[in-house]
Amino acid sequence: MKKKTVTLFLSVLILLATILAGCGSDTSNGADKEKENGNDVVTLRMMGYNPESTRATYLKYLDEKLPNVEIEFEFVALDNFNNVLNSQLQAGEGPDLIEVGGEAKLLAKANYLLDLTDEEFTSKYVESGLKPYMVDGKVYASPLQSWFEGIFYNKAIFKENNVEVPKTWDEFIEISKQLTKNGVKPQIMGAQSWEPMMKQSIGLVNNEFYSDEANRNFDEKFNAGEAKLAEEWLPYVEEWARVIDEGIITEDMLGLSYDQALDQFATGKAAMWESGPWAVETILEKNPDIELGMFPIPGKTEGDGWLIGGPGSALAINAKSQHIEEALKVLELTATEEAQKVLVADNAGSSFLEGVEVDLGEIYTDSEAAFKAGNVYAPWTAVWTSGNPIVEAYGKSLQEVLAGVKTIENALKEADSVNDNLRKTLN
Amino acid sequence: MYNKQRERVFMLMILPAFIGFIVLFIAPTAMSFFYSLTNWSVYNPDIKFVGLDNYKMLFEDVKTVSAIKTTLQYAILITIFQNIIAILLAVYLNKKMVAVNFVKSLVFLPAVLSILVVGFLFQYIMTSADYGLLNNIIQFFGGDPVNWLGDSKIAIYSVLVTQVWQWAGWSMVIYIANLKSIDTALYEAAEIDGAGKIRTFFSVTLPLLYPAVSFNLLMSLIGGMKVFDVIFSMTKGGPGYATETIMTTLIREGFNSGRNAYASALAVVFFIAVFILSRIVITFLNKWERKLS
Repeated sequence: MKKKTVTLFLSVLILLATILAGCGSDTSNGADKEKENGNDVVTLRMMGYNPESTRATYLKYLDEKLPNVEIEFEFVALDNFNNVLNSQLQAGEGPDLIEVGGEAKLLAKANYLLDLTDEEFTSKYVESGLKPYMVDGKVYASPLQSWFEGIFYNKAIFKENNVEVPKTWDEFIEISKQLTKNGVKPQIMGAQSWEPMMKQSIGLVNNEFYSDEANRNFDEKFNAGEAKLAEEWLPYVEEWARVIDEGIITEDMLGLSYDQALDQFATGKAAMWESGPWAVETILEKNPDIELGMFPIPGKTEGDGWLIGGPGSALAINAKSQHIEEALKVLELTATEEAQKVLVADNAGSSFLEGVEVDLGEIYTDSEAAFKAGNVYAPWTAVWTSGNPIVEAYGKSLQEVLAGVKTIENALKEADSVNDNLRKTLN
Repeated sequence: MYNKQRERVFMLMILPAFIGFIVLFIAPTAMSFFYSLTNWSVYNPDIKFVGLDNYKMLFEDVKTVSAIKTTLQYAILITIFQNIIAILLAVYLNKKMVAVNFVKSLVFLPAVLSILVVGFLFQYIMTSADYGLLNNIIQFFGGDPVNWLGDSKIAIYSVLVTQVWQWAGWSMVIYIANLKSIDTALYEAAEIDGAGKIRTFFSVTLPLLYPAVSFNLLMSLIGGMKVFDVIFSMTKGGPGYATETIMTTLIREGFNSGRNAYASALAVVFFIAVFILSRIVITFLNKWERKLS
């Protein structure tokens, strides 16, 4: 009998241990480290969806300038980022500094982010950089460098075939035809991903629609469900679709991934490819001799052209952070010209800090005019409340347009309906 | 008396595992039933009860309905093809031949690889780029290149083929194990009775393969229903929505769009679909078993 009691007791004990081990939390970790170090070094967790390599110089800079702050950078790929971040935030935990992008407004509305409106450094940024991170006039994040996408072209192929950088959309179609005639594939596209067609078509919408002052408040109305893409964007996206009608973008590109398209462009099998600065390193790795240039997406009439882009991402502070003071210091330091240049060193882009000009280099000479005119815009990251799912639906529908089973109008309607659904579900 | 107490101790022994099962499986499942009736989202600070709204939206959404259809189609097709090929391979490789063990391990080999690795590999083999291996082979023999993954009518079958290739060997091993247990006297008797090879297969081999068949059918059916990784690595659900499945839709809506409650509703629908489908298969298998005995 005694033996059995012991067995029983032991099994209950094991059971309890298992349960308790699961409940244990690791709150004590950070505090211990500080004490061991002797001086007051505070460890800040920074979670980002851009890999550490794109922030290496910046992180080193922070390390030098802020000796009593140690930044623990945590990279979580974008596929998983929202998932990981949201579950931590819901548990009342999460990183101290959060890299935010399209979801910033939703996170701010759910009270996860610290209000930065009255901080001195916030006023140093231009408004276009802050706008994506504003809810009801309050600012919730500090913008990092911008991202942009234009059309890369192979200068050697252009020269050989005697074609010039296009200044209008008609010219763009024209040179594409010319290249095809000469036996060169004009434009390659990794259309297996829904992104490139979505972005390029919005490039034309930028030129024709967003350049007009009268359409400035379209995005706000779109958020409120009062304006529809299918009504406003239709003529411009249909204009873009000429690249499909004229056989410049073809159905077989639906079987091509981003990497495969990059490969074809880098090895000179196509004259143009749409992407952004992050691809340059890989292109040059595959073909160090390539003469690379990037031009903005041209409009119907001659102009500076437009790039797709905007504030790439921003740093926000977790409202429940234990080290808000130190986190604010990091953002304060980031709002200096020196820090901005350090940021751009690892990933080309422009700065949103007032008065900071960044020299992007030779590749982007053809895009300079567009940059000067401020012609860089991506409505879904700039203003739309749930931008990513909407452009995903739009981009996926454009794939169906390319496959010939959907019309442009239906693609835009699809994006509208996703917007409606999300507004209903998330409010 | 002694036995009862002993049983009690045993019960306590399995308690830790049982509690784990409840905490990690039963409770989350029950919770998604509950969440599917609310407007829960990470972006919603307060949760409201919304009744069956999520289910209504779900069945009104053409994309989600077509994803459910694609998944069912995929699951049924992979179950049929994987098992037919596996049985044929098993029967054929169960003979005494030269290098038969080598061939067996060769057929089984793909199952050792990670699904993601296989997916990314085939994405390169089936690509429409100029170096696409499969298209190069076709062109070498004078055929026209096919857009294996970029044609919305073909894409799902391209994915299916890679999975049949990967998992047929796995099922084959189970069938072979079952074949080994069949008494050779039965084959001798069949031969004496004058049964041909095909007759022997349908009258002796197949009925006695029953245990392996029921296991394999259920496994590939459930595996097919929850297909995700291979789609993710080969087509990302595209082109358009052509290869979206229940799982890819669930991930997209639940995590990318933040519609957690909607995704919970879809998970409930998924649960019911798998439950019904496996019930149908089990009923069918039971009938077959009764007929045999």
